[in-house]
Amino acid sequence: MSDTDTTTNADGAEVRTDGTGIVPPDDETPTWSERKARSQGLARLTYEYFERSRREDQDLRQQSSYVERDVLAFPTWPHEMIRNLALVSFFVGMIVFLSAALPPHIGPPADSSSTPAVILPDWYLYWSFGLLKLGPLNPDISLLGGQKLMADRTYGVLANVVIVGFVAIVPFLNKGAARRPVEQPFWAAVGMSGVVFAFTIAVLSVKNLVPMDSHVIFDLTFFLPLVAAFVTYAVLRSMREGYMFNLNRRYYRLRPPK
Amino acid sequence: MSLEPRDEHDHAGWMETRELTAIEEVYLTALIWLDKRLRIVDYLEILENLYYKVNFQMPKSHTEQYNLDNKFWYWYPLYALGSFSTVAYVVAAISGALLGFYYAPGAGASNGEPALAYNTITFIMTDLNLGFFLRSLHRWSAQVMVAAVFLHMLRVYFTGAYKEPRELNWLIGIVLISLTMVFGYTGYLLPWDQLAFWAGQIGVEMSLSIPIIGEWVAQLLFGGFTLSQSTVQRMYVLHVFFLPFIVTGVIAVHIGIVWMQGIAEPH
Repeated sequence: MSDTDTTTNADGAEVRTDGTGIVPPDDETPTWSERKARSQGLARLTYEYFERSRREDQDLRQQSSYVERDVLAFPTWPHEMIRNLALVSFFVGMIVFLSAALPPHIGPPADSSSTPAVILPDWYLYWSFGLLKLGPLNPDISLLGGQKLMADRTYGVLANVVIVGFVAIVPFLNKGAARRPVEQPFWAAVGMSGVVFAFTIAVLSVKNLVPMDSHVIFDLTFFLPLVAAFVTYAVLRSMREGYMFNLNRRYYRLRPPK
Repeated sequence: MSLEPRDEHDHAGWMETRELTAIEEVYLTALIWLDKRLRIVDYLEILENLYYKVNFQMPKSHTEQYNLDNKFWYWYPLYALGSFSTVAYVVAAISGALLGFYYAPGAGASNGEPALAYNTITFIMTDLNLGFFLRSLHRWSAQVMVAAVFLHMLRVYFTGAYKEPRELNWLIGIVLISLTMVFGYTGYLLPWDQLAFWAGQIGVEMSLSIPIIGEWVAQLLFGGFTLSQSTVQRMYVLHVFFLPFIVTGVIAVHIGIVWMQGIAEPH
């Protein structure tokens, strides 16, 4: 008898009995269409006629060139939006609290004759501001007698274009079904080095405020992202085996890779 | 055997094959008669949809569907960042419209004397009832929106959500994040204090450094090669007229595509 009172269902997955997890409706719960099909009398006749009528429409649709495609994804409504609304209302409360507690500062009025010691854009532009200070990397060509091909300022602006351009073409460089960082350690490493570079280049943009030799800061700006990339790659590669085993077992069974 | 094409949807024939009582027959005849003319079935579908929406049963969440760890919930805030930045944008739009009642762009001579823009900001912060809160709300929601947009981009990158059917939305997102930063920059210049003035100076120099079209861009965005009244005025018009229309439109397209395509797996 011990075989019959098993705790695994048809998929072989264990059924939790400790109250965690949500129990899906079992097979005996009638669906809405079953409930309608079970109705009696005029309701039943209405149901049958409308089913025929709908099938007629369906046949007509299929005769035309109208094609329905399904996109493999998680529905935005209601799953995502309901959860998001709950989380977002919390965050909006945070904005209101912050703005009541920390009103912004007003500096002295604009004065074109006195340059302040510290000139900075808002924090989210520090990375772009730092890219303007890449002058030392601007190659000077010996054929031009050590002259630079373009001004350092132009070089900095072009560096911005190159960075944004690279981020934009990522979907066309990295293709395939892999989604999680463990499935694609290389691209996760590229991403981590990008994140670290955004921070180091921001520090470079305020280098006169950092108590360090500016040459050391300049070198670290490019060295730390490389370190971050290697560390990420190593960690993800070592995590991969164990992680992918679980992933393959319960995920690719439902979503086979291309 | 008949050569006539058989009518698959011969409702009258279907009725005859059934053993119906008189009431049922009258009822069905009336129903079919009305449905042929009024397409009741279409409206019935609307009613049915309403019914199911009222008697709403939450579908299985992703973690239930794939039997992933139920500890997974602490990733959810990262998936809410897109919504969060949209809501922060809406908050900034409302508070910004209210600020627009009191703010006026005006640079004066930029010689250290407070000019019109600076004076209106001072008025908002010190004299206007709850003005400090309004400006604070506008500034914080803008800051939070930019932060959320950056983190949203990182989330999308590290979950590979930019892949196959969603490349276009990634590109639109790049446009949006750039426009968000331009939005922030134009707003940063509006108080016309020292920070704004010298940030504007950097902006002019950056535009002038663009090869070939640099002078034209500086002229268009900053109204000249040095900062003046027209700089503030142009920043103001960009900030309250052009960018709101453009960014709202692009956000609508961005969200519309997400809505049509769904949220990328894995989740």
